[in-house]
Amino acid sequence: MNATFAIAGATFGEAVRKRILMVILLVALLIILISPAFEPFAAGRGARTLIISFGFGVIQLAGTFIAIIMCTSMIPTEIERRTIYTILSKPVQRYQFVLGKFFGAVGTLGFMYLMMGIVFLIASRMALGGFDPQILRGLLMFFFQSSLLAAVVLFFSTFVSPLVNYFLSGGVFLMGNLLSSFLETIQRNPEVTPITRIPVQLLTVILPNFANFNVQNPIINPEQMLTDETAYLVQTIGYAIVYIALLLVASMLIFNQREM
Amino acid sequence: MSEIAIKTVNLTKRYSGLWSKQPVDAVKNLNLEVHRGEIFGFLGPNGAGKTTTIKVLLGIIYPTEGEAYVLGQPAGDPKNHYKISYLPENPYFYDYMTGREILTFYAKLFGIAEPERSKRVNELLDRVGLSRAADQPLRTYSKGMQQRIGLAQCLINDPQLLILDEPTAGLDPIAHIDIRDMILDLRNQGKTLFISSHQLSDVERVCDRVAILNRGVMVQLGRIEELLAGGHVEVIADKVPDNAVEPIRQLGGKVSLHDGRLIVEQPDNGTVDRVIDIVRAAGGHIISVKPYRRTLEDLFVETIQGGKNA
Ligand SMILES: Nc1ncnc2c1ncn2[C@@H]1O[C@H](COP(=O)(O)OP(=O)(O)O)[C@@H](O)[C@H]1O
Ligand SMILES: [Mg+2]
Repeated sequence: MNATFAIAGATFGEAVRKRILMVILLVALLIILISPAFEPFAAGRGARTLIISFGFGVIQLAGTFIAIIMCTSMIPTEIERRTIYTILSKPVQRYQFVLGKFFGAVGTLGFMYLMMGIVFLIASRMALGGFDPQILRGLLMFFFQSSLLAAVVLFFSTFVSPLVNYFLSGGVFLMGNLLSSFLETIQRNPEVTPITRIPVQLLTVILPNFANFNVQNPIINPEQMLTDETAYLVQTIGYAIVYIALLLVASMLIFNQREM
Repeated sequence: MSEIAIKTVNLTKRYSGLWSKQPVDAVKNLNLEVHRGEIFGFLGPNGAGKTTTIKVLLGIIYPTEGEAYVLGQPAGDPKNHYKISYLPENPYFYDYMTGREILTFYAKLFGIAEPERSKRVNELLDRVGLSRAADQPLRTYSKGMQQRIGLAQCLINDPQLLILDEPTAGLDPIAHIDIRDMILDLRNQGKTLFISSHQLSDVERVCDRVAILNRGVMVQLGRIEELLAGGHVEVIADKVPDNAVEPIRQLGGKVSLHDGRLIVEQPDNGTVDRVIDIVRAAGGHIISVKPYRRTLEDLFVETIQGGKNA
């Protein structure tokens, strides 16, 4: 466990010094900070929806980019610079290396979400007055969404190059966001044959369902009302954890066979 | 405890080329035995397969055929890594960390806890002469300082076996001497050292045994003295009468005589005294006795060129 955390710590230290990630974070923080200035453009209760949606949108976008950019190069860079040789020649199991990398990535995401969350809470308080628990829940959901995405990217990075990984994980993220509503649409349409429907159903089940996490965003999901908040939170977080665990196991199995 | 530190049995590593490229046997049927407590030089030109062999020993890559054992265990078992250490070729470390931080990081990988951890890190920084630069980031270190941090990370677990891949490549001569002294010091402590090199420097000269690898195949193996045996001694004498030549010729070696001037090229095997006795008894006058030793360079060049012609 010691080794895993040492690797996670080193990964975090390296990630927070990566210029591109810091630029994304700073730009996001800046946009969130000035978002209350948009208030006059929406009348009455609309202002609340607009500001919260906008903030969530920025945070989700930043989290997505950070997760993808950080994780595509994490393992390939270690191999390219050969830093991994001295690590694997110590009493470190390969699964500990993968786990350490993932925990480092999640730690970095946690740090980024904390920063963005604090600024978001300050900005929304200034604009709307008062504290909205919806913001905290939303932040939690998007944090788990990014963590799941990080696991997807890390998984691909054990066997494809960073460039291919951008497209693969970007594609999986988009599909995982859109497939479930696409499936609902074609299920409502009686003209769609099972030959079309079944593959879509299959993909929806296999690919990670990123849409689950978007419920807190009133613009992306305006019609969805949560009947039981707690059940939703537990289910979604549970889903993320189980899916992440599966991806990590698969990553470890592939990485074990890998030559460097 | 096994007396063999490293053993490979018919070890072959084949890199299957992508699309157009032919598969390469980076290492072919290698049978190696390194004894505990020795300094073993693993020599060969660039591309000979030295790094490939080392990576197999560490479990960074896997053998295509054959087996490899380190300290009696199958190669690559992380539990065995408590007792070994490795300095890669042109090592690179997380360069945002300071010297102290990187050593602390490696100590954590061994599960070394405080206060022992800080104590060991400080000792090592001192030992490799980096105490003053300890809190500077590695990105500000020179090549020689990076190499010294590399050596320090090798010593953090007080290993029984050190595997050093080209430890002197790209360093200045003073640094070569430093590293050689450190290696001798480690041998005195009973450590086993496995050192690869493509060039010969002061470091390789301290090896007890060397293997020479060429294009994945081991072409020489032995104790340095044995491999370098077969030097010769040249004796030059004057005023030597013709009748002294025959008995000298019978001792073996190359003999030539012109106008009383004798030149004898005699294998370095103790018969030189006899040559001198014969010359003096015959009234000759010895001008010079000059030994020509074979060097590791000679052996290296002969071996590699022999391999090329074959
Ligand atoms: N990952 C790899 N893929 C394909 N060929 C490789 C790889 N690594 C090394 N080789 C080839 O294997 C041979 C031996 O390389 P190496 O072990 O690095 O030699 P050395 O360390 O003795 O200079 C070389 O021909 C090299 O090109
Ligand atoms: Mg090499």
